[in-house]
Amino acid sequence: MAATRILLAALALPGLVQAENAPDKSTLSVKYLDYQDSQPNLDRIHVRSPAIDIAVPVAGVWLLRASVVSDLISGASPRYHTAVSGASRFEETRKGVDAAVTRYFPRASVTLAAGRSGEHDYVSRFVSAQASFASDDNNTTWLVGAGVANDRINPVNDAVENEHKRVVDLMAGVTRVLTPADIVQALLTHVRGEGYYSNPYKYIDQRPRHQRQHSLMLRWNHHFGGSGATSRSSYRYYTDSNGVDSHTLLGEYVRPFADGWTVTPSLRLYSQSAARFYFDPVYDTRFGPPFPPGYSFTDGRDRSADQRLSAYGAATVGLKVEKEIGADTTVDVKLEQYKQRGEWRAFGSGSKGLQAFSARSIQVGITTRW
Amino acid sequence: MVGSFSVRFGAMASKCEVRLAASSQAHADALAQCAIDEVARIEAAFSRYRPGTIVSRINDAAGRDWVDLDSETEALLGYADTLFEGSEGKFDITSGVLRRAWDFRQGRVPAQAALAPLLELVGWQRVQRAPGRIRLPQAGMELDFGGFGKEYAADRAAAILKAAGARHGYVNLGGDLHVFGPQPDGSAWMIGIQDPRDAGRTIASIPVQAGALATSGDYERFFEQDGKRYCHVLDPASGFPVGYWRSVSVLAPLAIAAGSYATITLLLEERGLDFLRDSGLAFLAVDHQGRVFNEKRSHMGSASGLP
Repeated sequence: MAATRILLAALALPGLVQAENAPDKSTLSVKYLDYQDSQPNLDRIHVRSPAIDIAVPVAGVWLLRASVVSDLISGASPRYHTAVSGASRFEETRKGVDAAVTRYFPRASVTLAAGRSGEHDYVSRFVSAQASFASDDNNTTWLVGAGVANDRINPVNDAVENEHKRVVDLMAGVTRVLTPADIVQALLTHVRGEGYYSNPYKYIDQRPRHQRQHSLMLRWNHHFGGSGATSRSSYRYYTDSNGVDSHTLLGEYVRPFADGWTVTPSLRLYSQSAARFYFDPVYDTRFGPPFPPGYSFTDGRDRSADQRLSAYGAATVGLKVEKEIGADTTVDVKLEQYKQRGEWRAFGSGSKGLQAFSARSIQVGITTRW
Repeated sequence: MVGSFSVRFGAMASKCEVRLAASSQAHADALAQCAIDEVARIEAAFSRYRPGTIVSRINDAAGRDWVDLDSETEALLGYADTLFEGSEGKFDITSGVLRRAWDFRQGRVPAQAALAPLLELVGWQRVQRAPGRIRLPQAGMELDFGGFGKEYAADRAAAILKAAGARHGYVNLGGDLHVFGPQPDGSAWMIGIQDPRDAGRTIASIPVQAGALATSGDYERFFEQDGKRYCHVLDPASGFPVGYWRSVSVLAPLAIAAGSYATITLLLEERGLDFLRDSGLAFLAVDHQGRVFNEKRSHMGSASGLP
């Protein structure tokens, strides 16, 4: 339509719409997540997770952000594959805090962040830096980032003592405004780690001490002028040195309605290949479960029965409903249902013999600005 | 203590004002300077009177050479092309030559013999464009950015103030307004719309928190002859002034868009109302009989940022 084209053309002119703008209001958000995963006849992990996030702009060019999250985790974690008999009951608390400061410049921003999360047997600390730069016409934004995480691992079963893991990640991306209604982004990440990656609570779990991960994320957001809705689509390719390749496809449709209501249905499809050292639930005839056929106690080979390293496909359907209350407060509820099956793997056959895995989560939140 | 201060200046043959929140008048003057400088830069860069500007060089090379473009000029020419396409060819930045025949100070309707050769020089569709360059195909043809230069300058100046951290105020270039934030207490600025037949009165007052308001009317430069009003907005097809609308004000996210919608409405005459309604923007229009048409709407959003 000619009439709308003119506005879109005006918005695309150089220097008129600022890409980098420090928020001018403080926000406080409180969220509560309840997550439960399960397999046939077994409720596995149950997580109840309250979180608080606060962001305060200072002097128009700084943004200070801090968040605290506490996870109360209880349930049964399979000790190998999905065998119920091996499940151990446990209950524990994980606490995480992190803080970030962002400085906004006319066409750039720089963010420094640090955080710590820990439970009694696992402590993780990270620092990261990220910078973004916009082109003169503000239609292109480049993004670079780097981070380091240091983990300290002291399992209660003394499988290992004072183990560590150090991970460095690098990220580079570009965001481009194609039309006033379309934004696309490409993001490359490279992660390199060294240390203890194994799960100390699983039988027969030994993973390489050096790992590399690469991923490419492509995103496209489209705004529908007529309804005011926005679609967000993304594809992510991931590959790592364990031999896991994965594809993630995500679609979301953010649809505003009258009286401050917004409804966002979403669908995520996922598929991955198995890690090179993952073994199917077929066990050695001499030792029985959980030992894989031909198992040797002395060869020191990498092996894992972790279902997360098997070949599978998964789908998540979600629905988020938000309601604005007054000008500055939003309440939201988000429901998600996740299902994972070996036979749902795309581009290849899935791992056999695993029980179906599913999860559901519900998150409620309130955000207020002032 | 923060109050709002007004910094006045003259540019683009208009009375201009930057209004913003500051601790003192001196502080406001200092903050406003970057916006005033930007307006002066645009006025100098795109003037067709000053020798050596990109517009002068394109016009001087008419009928002869291709001229290389900088990216800003190329973007504005692209915008001009969208206006031409979106207005059935009525918004034509080559139509400025018609003013050689119309002398609004003398106040005389030109003879057809004077208009005819000038109409030959009008025609954006004949302008040759290639990536990074442009050529006017005929000697005497001229480009003129006057149809949106002032609004563009208001938007650029407001963007610069915002980037410098300003959150409350507006840029007003001769009635083309870009509001970059509400008053310091959060309330909207009340912007008056001039009565097209009485310069001392307003016909409406519009609350604007953020966004832009521009007005095109038949009352800025005009003369009357034999009881008929001849205004400065000329139809590029006939070379004669349009006469259906007295005044059209449009509220849009950017002044350049608001001004373009208002001017195209004037140019489309009675069909302008449908065009305005299609735009989905808020407007207030007064026709030749003094009838008022208005539509209040919310702004159209743009694509939300990526998470």
